[in-house]
Amino acid sequence: MKFDLHIHSCLSPCASLEMSPGEIVARAVAAGMGGIAITDHNSAMNAPAMAVRARKAGLACLFGMEVQTAEEAHTLAIFDTPEQALAMTEWVYAAMPKRVNDPDTFGDQPILSADGDEDEIADLEWRILAMGCRRTIPETSAKAHELGGLYIAAHIDRPNFSVVSSLGSIPSAPDGTPYFDAVELSRTANADEWLPRAEGYAVTRSSDAHNLDDVARVWTEADIDGFTVAELKRAFAFRLTKPSPRITRF
Amino acid sequence: MTTAEIADKTGGAIAVDKPGAVVNYAYASDLLSDVMGHCGDESVLITIQNHLNTIAVCTLAGIEVIVICHGRPVPDDMAEAARREEVAIVTTPMSPYEASLALSELPPSKK
Repeated sequence: MKFDLHIHSCLSPCASLEMSPGEIVARAVAAGMGGIAITDHNSAMNAPAMAVRARKAGLACLFGMEVQTAEEAHTLAIFDTPEQALAMTEWVYAAMPKRVNDPDTFGDQPILSADGDEDEIADLEWRILAMGCRRTIPETSAKAHELGGLYIAAHIDRPNFSVVSSLGSIPSAPDGTPYFDAVELSRTANADEWLPRAEGYAVTRSSDAHNLDDVARVWTEADIDGFTVAELKRAFAFRLTKPSPRITRF
Repeated sequence: MTTAEIADKTGGAIAVDKPGAVVNYAYASDLLSDVMGHCGDESVLITIQNHLNTIAVCTLAGIEVIVICHGRPVPDDMAEAARREEVAIVTTPMSPYEASLALSELPPSKK
């Protein structure tokens, strides 16, 4: 099965407004994905709308967010249900700067309705989602796992906002217990260079799509029985994931 | 201190200009949440964070000029946002420590 575990919706201020749940699902299905995860910056407020659109299209979907931790590292917390993802959102929101988003500076942050057949804006998120939260990687890992989710270090090859760029390496607990279930390579990362730097973690590749053309341009493949957190956890534990080829030309 | 003076003292180049920009204080940090928490306005920020989000933080904190160290390139989206939000960017081959020394006549920025 092929899957893309890192897709932003229009809720992310830096993402295109065309990234509605309905359009994302259509692109993922057309690209032959067996499953996708929606991961907006510090929020899963579009998870309910995503769940409805994915169910209608018969596409397996997981729900999460890209938590920007106190270390200024981007990390993915991914869950089976919108309810789990929203519980994580509440926990992250409690540690966000209480500043109101200025759409002209940062971009719009629409929350889409889960009702009806069309993508319709139900609300606007007022917090600045482009900022980090005060939760650390150890805290965020513990919370994601407590809520039954996966915790993945995003785009470890990127020069900004990755655990490697912010901390120099992939952190684990003092007793050696890993904080992360897997690591992610960006769409352009050279696997020959970065697989040795993955420190033995299961490796994924995801699109980190901010516009429709990027949805499922790269992916991860694994032999799993269903697109669930439990099956992905098994695939990660046995290092069964295989990243797609990278993109070398834009 | 003007943008041109900052570029001159740090042996750098102006990547994005903001005519009339004058700074009275300086702050050095690579953690944007730290910049948000401690850097006041009328300031130059010395950092290695060559990223779009740095501009967003500057608009919130009232930072007039960014000095990007180690000759890191300014991505197109960052330059575009800087022009839009009227933040000047200087790039320098210096390290943050060297750039801080070069601008040491400026007092520390405080909230």
